[in-house]
Amino acid sequence: MSLVFRPKHIFGETFSSLRRNFLMGFTAITTVAITLFIVGVFSIIVFDIQSVLSSIESQVEIAVYLKDNISDDLKVYIEDEIKDWPEVEEVIFISKDQALERFKTQNEGSDILKEIQGNPLPASFEIRLKDPQKIEQVALRFVDKDGGNIEGVDEVIYGRNYVKKLFSITAVTGTIALLIIIILVLATMVLIFNTIRLSIYARRKEIEVMKLVGATNWYVRAPFLFEGSFEGFVGGSIAVLLLYFLNRFLLIKGETALVETMRIKNLALLGTNNVIIFIYLAIILLGILIGLLSSGFALRRYLKV
Amino acid sequence: MNMIEFRNVSKIYDNDSVALKDINLVIKKGEFVFMVGPSGSGKSTFIKLLIKEISSTNGTIFIAGRNICNLKNNRIPQLRRNIGCIFQDYKLLSDRTVFENIAFALEVIGKPNYIIKAQVPQVLKLVGLFNKMDSLPHQLSGGEQQRVCIARAFVNRPPILLADEPTGNLDPATSDGIMKLLSRINLIGTTVVMATHEKSIVNAMRRRVVELEDGIIIRDQRRGVYGS
Repeated sequence: MSLVFRPKHIFGETFSSLRRNFLMGFTAITTVAITLFIVGVFSIIVFDIQSVLSSIESQVEIAVYLKDNISDDLKVYIEDEIKDWPEVEEVIFISKDQALERFKTQNEGSDILKEIQGNPLPASFEIRLKDPQKIEQVALRFVDKDGGNIEGVDEVIYGRNYVKKLFSITAVTGTIALLIIIILVLATMVLIFNTIRLSIYARRKEIEVMKLVGATNWYVRAPFLFEGSFEGFVGGSIAVLLLYFLNRFLLIKGETALVETMRIKNLALLGTNNVIIFIYLAIILLGILIGLLSSGFALRRYLKV
Repeated sequence: MNMIEFRNVSKIYDNDSVALKDINLVIKKGEFVFMVGPSGSGKSTFIKLLIKEISSTNGTIFIAGRNICNLKNNRIPQLRRNIGCIFQDYKLLSDRTVFENIAFALEVIGKPNYIIKAQVPQVLKLVGLFNKMDSLPHQLSGGEQQRVCIARAFVNRPPILLADEPTGNLDPATSDGIMKLLSRINLIGTTVVMATHEKSIVNAMRRRVVELEDGIIIRDQRRGVYGS
């Protein structure tokens, strides 16, 4: 192994090769940088959309309005039953009085309050689920076999279509982003593949001599693998730098607005989990990986060692 | 001791052209052998088989008693470190000095610097180019370039030296010098196999001659000449 990792051999060859094929190397690095920059922007945006959606999802509730004449026993029975369901995160009972209180604060100063006589508002259970995708399944438990509501329940309301749309939006944005990223990564790989091909071509005489005098295959391959991963690394680092400035001057404003208006906690930049650091690291690693893979392909194709 | 042994070796290329047919040949340690024959007779195939640049279709090849036909790919470098090769076109790296060209052969097989610094001047003295150490290949004559090639092949002191038409690009006087050098290398115990089609050189040396024609050995003569 010491034979393969001789720094002078590997670094020297990479830099002389980058000088020789400056334009090709420059193009490859630029493409890596642009690709990974876009990957980074998408990752942040997709991550934030997911955060917003899951925060909206967690606000989605089932409201079970009770009939005014429901007996206390039945009410307690239903409440206990709901609490037993494994999907349920939390269930809150809103009595008629509390409902009216809430209505009053929500419509303060409005004329509608003067129209209200007595208390027309029903008591209700507000149910929050652990997994909002199960909302329909849970809501159907309040329906009896004839299609009406079970005894004591007047109406069950939940945002079924709203929730479904949210989920499909999440899925579609993810798929589109993934497709664009795959295409860009492939384009990047072709370009790095070409720079390595050119380096192999420029050094074909040296390679021939190396093989003749008995250099190991890894000794011959190592500089090209390093060259590819170096281009990937530099491209990735440039992407991170660009992304950093974009975040600092633009994306962070968007996130600040999200935090202020929707109180969303888990965002890429402003979240507490340092998600952005992981994105930066992943971009650089991805750059190195893309470089390694494409030079590996070029070696298989053009260097029979 | 048998340095090189071919047992029923055949080589058929992918396009069905037969390069060697059922070759049986033993070359002992310290021998000097000329492989002669017209172009296309199989001389180059013979040499390529020895350094396993290509593999034989049938038969077995032994080098120093070891079968090289079932050698794994990652063992080939080790084989080549024991076989020096020189060529008609020298294969020198044009952007490196004489010293660097020879040092390169040692560097890539992982020899440390102090060995390189000791061995390169030594082999340059042997080939008579000690004072041209810092020249670039294009500043040298053809004969000098061939000497650099020989120095590079021999710097690692391999037991076998293969020469594929080494005098092909040289005038007779210069060729003579190259042959003297190869003889000296042979005298210190190196087995030398030289492919050539130059009559005068073979006749002057009076060494073993193996003649190939259409991939078959048609003559194997001790102290032979070119053409019977």
